[in-house]
Amino acid sequence: MKKWQCFFCSYIYDEALGAPAEGIPAGTRWEDVSEDWICPECGATKEDFAMLEIA
Amino acid sequence: MSQPESSCTLIVGSGHAGCEAAFSLRQNGYTGRVVLIGNEVSLPYQRPPLSKGFLAGTVDDQALLIRPADAYEKANIETRLGVQVVSLNAAQKTIELSDGSSLGYNHLILATGSRPRQLAILDSERPLANVHYLRTLAHAQQMREQMLEGKRLVIIGGGYIGLEVAAMALKRGLKVSLIESMDRLLARVTAPDVSSFYQHVHQAEGAKLHLNAQLDRLNLDTTGERVESVQLSDGSVFPADLVLVGIGAIANTELAEQAGLEIDNGIVVDEYTYTSDPFIHAIGDCCSHPSELYGRRLRLESIPNAVEQARTAALAICAKPLPYRSVPWFWSDQYDLKLQTVGLSQGHDQTCLRGSPALRSFVVFYLREGMVIAADCVNRQSEFALIKKLVQGRQKPDIPSLVDDSMSLKDILAQMTTPA
Repeated sequence: MKKWQCFFCSYIYDEALGAPAEGIPAGTRWEDVSEDWICPECGATKEDFAMLEIA
Repeated sequence: MSQPESSCTLIVGSGHAGCEAAFSLRQNGYTGRVVLIGNEVSLPYQRPPLSKGFLAGTVDDQALLIRPADAYEKANIETRLGVQVVSLNAAQKTIELSDGSSLGYNHLILATGSRPRQLAILDSERPLANVHYLRTLAHAQQMREQMLEGKRLVIIGGGYIGLEVAAMALKRGLKVSLIESMDRLLARVTAPDVSSFYQHVHQAEGAKLHLNAQLDRLNLDTTGERVESVQLSDGSVFPADLVLVGIGAIANTELAEQAGLEIDNGIVVDEYTYTSDPFIHAIGDCCSHPSELYGRRLRLESIPNAVEQARTAALAICAKPLPYRSVPWFWSDQYDLKLQTVGLSQGHDQTCLRGSPALRSFVVFYLREGMVIAADCVNRQSEFALIKKLVQGRQKPDIPSLVDDSMSLKDILAQMTTPA
């Protein structure tokens, strides 16, 4: 499971956790999150997120 | 055509814009040397938490970094931190640093940002121990130590910085008074309806707001190093344990000016972020750029602007130019209220309201000749993306539908025809 971070505000979308408050169940892969979805913290779009490298 | 490996791009400024420019160059295939230079000692970090979680003590320094420390080495981005660029020679394409060294460039990106406007009545050369500005990590660290329960905080300026700190300070049990010279809060950036909404929210949380209030003097204690009260021109006096000043920001254009670049409310750039010198770009808070949408030049102080202009500059340097056409947008967090704004509302001739301020969930749309030019959204995260589309698309929606909260924005957008 990967993590994606918002460039604008550092909010992290963790695939393992999903975003249940937004209707995205735990385990939803990034590519399956709707392209209309925006960062719940600041409003940035999916293309403003980058995958976090696992150290 | 890609840049030769012998190419060198220097980035002056290690804030949100400078950091993004460095990584965006690599993402777009730039193989030359990239040097990120900043006058702060830390690696690029997030500024928004400085007025919220960091000041509250719930977020620490390391969590603020925009990119982890090892990301720079991995991307082969050199950093020169804690140094100032003291001069720029555009003819020779060199810069001089405060440590005496100099660097040459093929491309230069100025991301020098902005600095807090200083209180005119204070001597900025002799800072007072309990008077704070808030932009940098150092500012926030100094202020955090004084943010203790029961202390009296006087805030000068009713803009985003003042209100975000007020919200956080009240939650931490400080007593807050806020002084604003205009007749309402957020006067430069929102409509009266939104100003009064925030006024009521802050007052309900216990803030003492003083509008139309002109600052006259800061009274010092017997040591002469600390403020003990704030005095207005009407004679009223507010005792203060600490003072926060948030009265706007000034673009850092000095280096560009000294080098002879064109300046007009910031370093003047075109839609590809080129300054008046073809080898120099300027991005973020420090520059003014043309807006096709608004038909005038803008200087925006926002992270989306910083990051998107950084990408524009990187693309231009990598010979893949794309003009910067994004609609301005911004967010601010106070209490449980997420304010997201899109567009600029100056020149509007009409507003309309969707949702309910009483329920703390609403949108104020600003229109000009029937076209939505801006919107202020409070707790409307699920609608914000579509509202951005409305503004970007210069739409003229059906107003009865817009103000009908039972009609989804998706349906409203689908109903519209492309504007002529």
